[in-house]
Amino acid sequence: MKSLRILLTTVIVCGFLIYPCLAGAKTLKIGSMSPLTGQYAADGNDIKQGVETAIAIWEKKGGVPGYDKIKYYPQDSACDGKQAVSSANKLVNLDAVGVVGAYCSSATLPASDVLNDGKVLMLTPASTNEKVTERGFQYMFRVCGRDDDQSKAAAKFLITKLNIKTIAIVDDKTTYTQGLADNLEKSLGDKVKVVAREHINQGDKDFSGILTKIKAKNPDVLYMSLYNPEGNLMAIQAKRLQLKAKLMSEDAVYHPNYLKIAKDAGEGTYFTFGQPPSKDIPEVKAFLDAYTAKYGEPGSYSSYAFDATNILLTAISKVGGDDPDKIASAIRGIKMQGASKYITFDPKGDSGSTYKVLVVKGGQFMPFWDPDSGKDL
Amino acid sequence: MDVFLQQTINGLTLGAIYALIALGYTMVYGIIQLINFAHGEIFAAGGYIGVIALSFLQARGVLERHPILGLFLAFFLAMFYCAFLAVALERVAYKPLRGASRLALLLSALGMSIFFSNGMMLCQGVYDKAYPHFFTSGGFNIGGAIITNMQVFIMVGSVILMVTLNIFVNRTRLGKAMRATAQDRTMSAILGINADKTIVTTFVIGASLAAAAGVMVGLYYGSVRFDMGFIPGIKAFAAAVLGGIGNLTGAMIGGMMIGMVEIFAAGYLASEYKDVFAFIILILVLYFRPTGIMGVQVDDTRV
Repeated sequence: MKSLRILLTTVIVCGFLIYPCLAGAKTLKIGSMSPLTGQYAADGNDIKQGVETAIAIWEKKGGVPGYDKIKYYPQDSACDGKQAVSSANKLVNLDAVGVVGAYCSSATLPASDVLNDGKVLMLTPASTNEKVTERGFQYMFRVCGRDDDQSKAAAKFLITKLNIKTIAIVDDKTTYTQGLADNLEKSLGDKVKVVAREHINQGDKDFSGILTKIKAKNPDVLYMSLYNPEGNLMAIQAKRLQLKAKLMSEDAVYHPNYLKIAKDAGEGTYFTFGQPPSKDIPEVKAFLDAYTAKYGEPGSYSSYAFDATNILLTAISKVGGDDPDKIASAIRGIKMQGASKYITFDPKGDSGSTYKVLVVKGGQFMPFWDPDSGKDL
Repeated sequence: MDVFLQQTINGLTLGAIYALIALGYTMVYGIIQLINFAHGEIFAAGGYIGVIALSFLQARGVLERHPILGLFLAFFLAMFYCAFLAVALERVAYKPLRGASRLALLLSALGMSIFFSNGMMLCQGVYDKAYPHFFTSGGFNIGGAIITNMQVFIMVGSVILMVTLNIFVNRTRLGKAMRATAQDRTMSAILGINADKTIVTTFVIGASLAAAAGVMVGLYYGSVRFDMGFIPGIKAFAAAVLGGIGNLTGAMIGGMMIGMVEIFAAGYLASEYKDVFAFIILILVLYFRPTGIMGVQVDDTRV
């Protein structure tokens, strides 16, 4: 009993002696926000794993200069504005320097208010709604493309390449999907007639009701402005109802899961997505090797989250401290080859869109058409 | 006309699935007056066992050679596993609270629901699990409406299960014991009916039906996910209430009604408000018949 007491005392005394040394160690705190639970957990975990991959590579290289270690705080924003705001508050209170996130635009918008007020840098890897960078926030950046560009690319493809006359558009009433669907409708103008504009709810499984309704209108194309889980199911059910319309969708349905779940029902579906760079580029290869070794096949936004983290850490190491104004201007000056694209930022914080049209062929996403040049890929 | 016919078929398929899940809610409520919120998760677990069994059989090549046998095996395994799960659930979360207030029991059920849902997420992952492509395609055309094999299978399968259940409850000794326990647990215990055994039987039957519904949903929609039990669970609960909770025929009618209303609201009104219409019907029915469509007024000693 006595020896135990001596042992305990020793441990406590030593603990107090060591503690100041530990406290003197400088920790770089960065966070991420993405839906880690709920129906969008797949994309959310892709983002988290992308951030982890980037941090692991930095740590292998010796960490960020001026800091002894990087502490990562992944937060679950659940694609929900309220939860995203509380995650943002938590990260502000933790004195995080920067945050990668969020996934859903409807979570990014309210969370960015909190982070911007708290002078925490926010780099979204996946929120494409144009409002994200249109509010003049100094600390808000976007690594992916914008919906107004995406809808223009899709509209150009539908009009000039597919040459369609009628379209049915379905969204799920969230900031991202509805914004994109509205933009598409606007971009199509009077060249294509919108014969049906339907809305579903997040988490719905059965779309036979609206698909039967759409089938009766006989559109040339069914545009799914949805997230991945609903998109997979809608493709299967459309095929089952023998809907003649071609399917087209966007970056949130674009995910390896679409091929796995929809299988032959997804064949021939067109997608708009930021063009993935060639795998021969060393930066891309480094990402793919590191990610695949630990987590398997990357999701559609893993590379964007990876790049967002790299941008943040590069800017911090350039500035050599945690002054948010300096880091923000350093990010604006960054020019680097990322795993998702070549990255430069405009004054608003956008990094430009690289939307291309892809098609599902033989169970794979194949490049199909380039909206900029109007040529096949 | 073909659109109407197509929507009716869609509605009947969805309704059959809701009815199967609703039966579990209503039976458990009838016996121990508990709204078993974990029932939706048992349904999801059934879906997962189905995908595990079918993928395994497909990898072994059994599914190509004996599709019917493989399907039967998947259903059997899912129902067996979920029955076992429900017995464990009852033993761990409900039995110790037999004498406690109904509120404690209800909270225990909610807790188990969250526990199961997150447990499935942890052990099966957050990604959708795809069912093997099998028997899901193909169908026939009647007057412009397309009926797929899977829809026929779901409707016929549910009817067989419901008829079997009705025969079991109305014609067998155990069924009679169940009805007696539901009516008056104390009195039936005095007459020598083992209440514990009857309650466990009820959970086993309810869970097997939910598991069958889970496999059907997996086959029909092509994939399962850890959180798939939540929304159908709520809808099926609404169906059970609509039909008159505690009443088996009521649960079947309620399930069919909710399924039909949902599809017709999506097809003819606005699909984003289909749940609203389903619940408006629920409110209207409860306003005029507080005990539900088939529910009977019972005095306090029995509820």
